[in-house]
Amino acid sequence: MTSLDVSHLTVNFGERTVIDDLSFNLKEGEIASLLGPSGCGKTTLLRAIAGLLQPREGTIRFGSQLVGVSTVVLPPHKRRTGYVPQQGALFPHLNVAKNIAFGLDKKEFSTQEINNTVSQMLSLIGMSGYESQMPTELSGGQQTRVALARALAVKPKMVLLDEPFSALDAELRSELRTEVVALLRAQGTTAILVTHDREEALVSSDKVVLMRNGKIAQYGSPEEVYETPVSPSVAVSTGDALILNAQQSGDGITRYAISGSESEFSTTMTSNGYIVIRPEEISVSKVGVSGVTGTLIQLDYYGHDAMLVIELTNSSEIVRARVAGPMDFQVGDTVSVEHHGPIRFFSQR
Amino acid sequence: MAQSAKEHRVNRFFTSRGEPVSIHPALYALVGLLLAIVLIPFVYLVIRAFEKPLPEIMDLLLRSKTLEVLLTTSVLLILVVVINILFGTFISVGLHFVRLPKTHLLIVACVLPLAIPSYVFTYTWLALVPSLSGILAAAFILVLTTLPYMMLAILVSLRRIDNSFIEVARTLGQSRFQIFFKVILPQIRASISAGALLSGLYVLSDFGAVSLLNVETLTVSIQNMFKSSYDRSAASIISLLLIVASILFIAADEKIKDKKAKENVFKRMYTEDSRINNLRLKSIVLACVGIYTSLGVIAPLYVLISRFVSNPNPLDVSGLVTASISTISVSAFGALIALMFSAPLGFLIATHAGRFSKVSERIILIGHALPGVVIGLALVSLGSKLGAIYQSVFLLAFAYALLFLAKAVAAMTFSLQLVPQALKEVATTLGKSKTKVSTTVVFPIALPSIGLGTLLVFLTAMKELPATLMLRPTGMDTLATQIWSYASINRFNDAAPYALLLVVIAAIPTFLLSLPGRDLDSEANESKSKVGSLT
Repeated sequence: MTSLDVSHLTVNFGERTVIDDLSFNLKEGEIASLLGPSGCGKTTLLRAIAGLLQPREGTIRFGSQLVGVSTVVLPPHKRRTGYVPQQGALFPHLNVAKNIAFGLDKKEFSTQEINNTVSQMLSLIGMSGYESQMPTELSGGQQTRVALARALAVKPKMVLLDEPFSALDAELRSELRTEVVALLRAQGTTAILVTHDREEALVSSDKVVLMRNGKIAQYGSPEEVYETPVSPSVAVSTGDALILNAQQSGDGITRYAISGSESEFSTTMTSNGYIVIRPEEISVSKVGVSGVTGTLIQLDYYGHDAMLVIELTNSSEIVRARVAGPMDFQVGDTVSVEHHGPIRFFSQR
Repeated sequence: MAQSAKEHRVNRFFTSRGEPVSIHPALYALVGLLLAIVLIPFVYLVIRAFEKPLPEIMDLLLRSKTLEVLLTTSVLLILVVVINILFGTFISVGLHFVRLPKTHLLIVACVLPLAIPSYVFTYTWLALVPSLSGILAAAFILVLTTLPYMMLAILVSLRRIDNSFIEVARTLGQSRFQIFFKVILPQIRASISAGALLSGLYVLSDFGAVSLLNVETLTVSIQNMFKSSYDRSAASIISLLLIVASILFIAADEKIKDKKAKENVFKRMYTEDSRINNLRLKSIVLACVGIYTSLGVIAPLYVLISRFVSNPNPLDVSGLVTASISTISVSAFGALIALMFSAPLGFLIATHAGRFSKVSERIILIGHALPGVVIGLALVSLGSKLGAIYQSVFLLAFAYALLFLAKAVAAMTFSLQLVPQALKEVATTLGKSKTKVSTTVVFPIALPSIGLGTLLVFLTAMKELPATLMLRPTGMDTLATQIWSYASINRFNDAAPYALLLVVIAAIPTFLLSLPGRDLDSEANESKSKVGSLT
């Protein structure tokens, strides 16, 4: 296992710049998520780290070892990265055991050692006894597990996962994700997970690399990127966010549709902007005695919680609030809303 | 960093996502050499043709005889292709969309005529109807011969159509008739064109049928000139005319192919229940299949078997064995050369998209346009200058390799493209070098369909007639030449055992191609039928 340092990386496909002067680093044993909309360069970054494509500029280091500059220093087959592409890509002509043993060089290891590694890996992924099954006989989840075992068998310097769970249904997906992350953590593996699922990114990783148009929009721990987004648009990409018009005065007091009492607000030296509120930071109560009132116009019930859409009485702005179940609101109710959370003020969207 | 340039190249081999790709110099040189070899007959013909002064060439091309032959060839070509398109599309669509009993056996029956070469068709029909002669008879025989090419190509693409398109169109209020023209036809247009190309090239290069039926097409003309006067320059000029016709035909197909939308990701959402269960349609489709198979399978087989059984002369066992051994060995040799040639060419086309690949593909297509008569002519003339290889088994095998190289390359390219990029990348990151990836991943996966492609080239070579007639070593008889020599003097009884043997052997791959696989892996079946329709 090793640390990773990517510095000023630029990748071009012909005229198009896909990765644009991008830098980030990972400590040994950390798991990072590359999160962003499709086409933002996540997979390209992963492939550049694996050595599968050639950057135009910049360097990639594994620990202190320089593995990539604009002319590839270390070809992909010498980098020892465990690459798990979408849907696993198991070799269809090899059985499970041979798939896992694929990267183990017969000159380097004895047959006994290889067999040991294979059975160790199979028990690690909870699939002992599947040695002679063919990939087509496995379920989607099992295929992903075997692909991971195949990557881990070579004791890689880091594991690179390219949306490995994207083909699975929701339930299996979160189950397998938890399992895989636990496995990676137990092995102390440095790993990068490409995903476009914001929950997946937050729950699985130590660092979230939020990508936009080939650049890093924000980089930090899951808490950091969720709690303190650098812009309203970044906030939206890590979770539900309510963006309201706001004014901030010179002495740092912010006024917005649900900011409550307005008496202290001085109208001098104000600047216009936006405030970002997470729906769970708004509390809703039934009787409109305190705070700002509004009418409940829509209720999306999810079981464990519900999203309330409320039209404010004074400003007719729409706010969304997440409330934990059980609750007894109904569409048409008059409710009062209150914001209790950090003030995230931005002068621009 | 002395190594970086080399490793840089190693790396570039694997990038295919729009990044530039570079070609290994050795591959470049090898492919260049092979393409030069492929072009030898063509270049030779051009040189020979222009030995004559230009006015003489113009005279030859514009004399009424040439124009008459050209007209005959064109009419025959158009007749066969148009009938094939109409009849082939109707039967294929019927077999795919109408609920029929034992659809699979019906398809096998319709594809079986692939095993019967045109000259065997002609002679069996001549045995039935001795007065058969002329261009309509030739069109009839050639439709019987080439219809399976059409049907195979269309059936493969019909299987690729996502049934949900049809269901959506139905819910949008379209009748079946409208759906055929608006939804299905646009999606099978490219395969119809491919089938038309295959059958058209067959017609242009056919020698056996037209010659037995006294229809003088370009190939017969060339063969006559070659035999009678040994005026090689004149024969070369007519050959070039034939090549131009073939190239025009190929270009038309390319044009249609360019227009087609990118093929859908293969989804088989076809269910039994959604097939049409209409009695009248069922009977029409069944009647068509019945007519075709009785004309194209039952009639010839009946003639061959009855002639074989009723032959008063004793069976020439040793002649049969000798001819079989010659046929098998020289065809296998040819298939092997074609395989060796197709490996680097197919590899280049499958993995390196670029101008060099495009040019290579085009040159191989020119090879596709060279009919057996023309290759035969070029190699006879060249061989007679080279001495040692003249009239050698090697020269004949080489002719087969050149003739069927386009098929071999198509099968090779397709097989190599069966291996997804992701697999190669995973193998690389697991520490395998470029060579290792090829030996441990690419070839094991591609091998079955490469093998199938080679088998098909082998069997096509067994049936080849005109080049074999011109190039076989003195005294060597193959099944094809024996059938030919007996049939052309109306000794149908003596030809029967040779023809029967050839048809039985050639039927093997037809069965292999059209029977469903033992496994339920639809993708394997898919690739199998795809290789079949390519070759």
